[in-house]
Amino acid sequence: MTRPDAGGSAPARRWRKPPFIANPLLRFGLLATLAIYLVWAFGSLPFNWERISEGLPRAARIFGGGIPPSFSRFDLLLTGFTESLQIAILATLLGVLLSIPFAVMAARNVAPLPVYLLGRAVIIISRSFHPVIVAILFVAAVGFGPLAGILTLTLYSIGFVGKLLAEEIEEIDWGQVEAMRATGAGYLAVLYYAVFPQILPRQVGLSMYQLDSNLRASAVVGIVGAGGIGSTLMNAFGRYDYDFAFAILLVIIAVILVSEGVSGWVRKKIW
Amino acid sequence: MLAISNLTKRYGRDEPVLKGLDLTVEGNSVVAIVGASGAGKSTMLRCINRLVEPTSGSITLNGTELVHLKHGELRRARRKIGMVFQGFNLIDRLTVMENVLAGRLGYVNLFQAVTRRYPAADIDRAFVLMERVGIAHYANKRADALSGGERQRVGVVRALMQEPEVLLADEPTASLDPRTSEQIMVLLQSLASELSLPVLINIHNVAQARTYTDRIVGLRHGTMIFDGAPVDFDKDALDAIYGGIESPDDETTGPLTHAAAPSRESRHDAT
Repeated sequence: MTRPDAGGSAPARRWRKPPFIANPLLRFGLLATLAIYLVWAFGSLPFNWERISEGLPRAARIFGGGIPPSFSRFDLLLTGFTESLQIAILATLLGVLLSIPFAVMAARNVAPLPVYLLGRAVIIISRSFHPVIVAILFVAAVGFGPLAGILTLTLYSIGFVGKLLAEEIEEIDWGQVEAMRATGAGYLAVLYYAVFPQILPRQVGLSMYQLDSNLRASAVVGIVGAGGIGSTLMNAFGRYDYDFAFAILLVIIAVILVSEGVSGWVRKKIW
Repeated sequence: MLAISNLTKRYGRDEPVLKGLDLTVEGNSVVAIVGASGAGKSTMLRCINRLVEPTSGSITLNGTELVHLKHGELRRARRKIGMVFQGFNLIDRLTVMENVLAGRLGYVNLFQAVTRRYPAADIDRAFVLMERVGIAHYANKRADALSGGERQRVGVVRALMQEPEVLLADEPTASLDPRTSEQIMVLLQSLASELSLPVLINIHNVAQARTYTDRIVGLRHGTMIFDGAPVDFDKDALDAIYGGIESPDDETTGPLTHAAAPSRESRHDAT
């Protein structure tokens, strides 16, 4: 009697998905606010249609100049990429190694409160600025070149890997920690036996992801003078070598594709 | 000799979990601690090795007062207290041998622990104990590749590696199938007499408690309401401990007490 075709005489019951925001006043109020804001924003922002229409052919000229891309100065390209690769690998190694102590400090379940706050502060600070801003600071501090890039990306890696690793530590199986404590093991031995094995796969995965991400970022921070292929790209633009610049962009895309493939494969393998 | 007197544990400002508990365990006796969930069994066991901090009272192990020990002293005292857990709490990603040797973490320094350069005597002891419980051939297997019963054997061997003066088992058989849990109980019972070690076992299975232990202690709402030989643990005692508590435990413990007699016979077959 609970079969759907049994009813017959009863009218078809209707169902509609309940609205995302239950209060109709709030729901329509928000929509109206959004509409008013959009009208105001488009009305007040200084879009200069004349300049935009002038700029379009210029953009076409730049893209036109970029095709076909020129690989004639291949050695310059290679030097730039080698430097970027060195920056990315060194920064990943340094960042990943340094992120471990900071992650331990920033995990509430293994660190006492003052240490936890310090660790969190370090991670929050190193995450609060985009690498480009940090790179500008480091270029000002240590001058143009790869050192600024390495420092920037190291800080970036500490922030990112440290934060995710700290969250991983906070979610470990606490029983293993209890078991190691019960044997009379000291703090570091407990960390080494009960905590690190549990976060190891995550750490390897994050390191691979970070290498990938640092390679990408090393091209960007190079633009503000922190060495690598970004600097080469900036010089090419500055000299109106659009065909060379286009060649650099193509190679960047290729390298990112390869590194993404490799890191994905490694992360899948090591678990 | 383990002597607990007037042990009280209160979490925050709640009703105390343990209310002035007294318990003395001597020689190589196997003591079962029974009681409904939330009666304070686990808290009591964890107060002994200070995985849980007692609120007040005294716990002495062979003359050493445990309640007020700090840092290094506490770690040295914990070496003498082996613990076996319900969830085994093995380091899943490490090998069986590494898990077993982890029982020595209270004795070796950090360098030895990290590089796995344990003293030859420890390695020898590990093999002897693993052969005793029948897991020596798994020495280089990852701990998470073993079955439940085998994993609990690793847990027992790890605790015994500490050369403990008392062994605590927190529901050691609750995650195992009936047959395997009988084997683990037989193992704990015979190890207690072989190593002349007092063993405290938290257990839900009253039939097993009556079969494999020398003494039963019943807890209810943080106070001891039964302390005596298994033969004296009758229906009245069972009702006093579990009675009036609406929980599925009631249904499973009822029939099991009637099954106590046959399982006593099967134990003779097993040993």
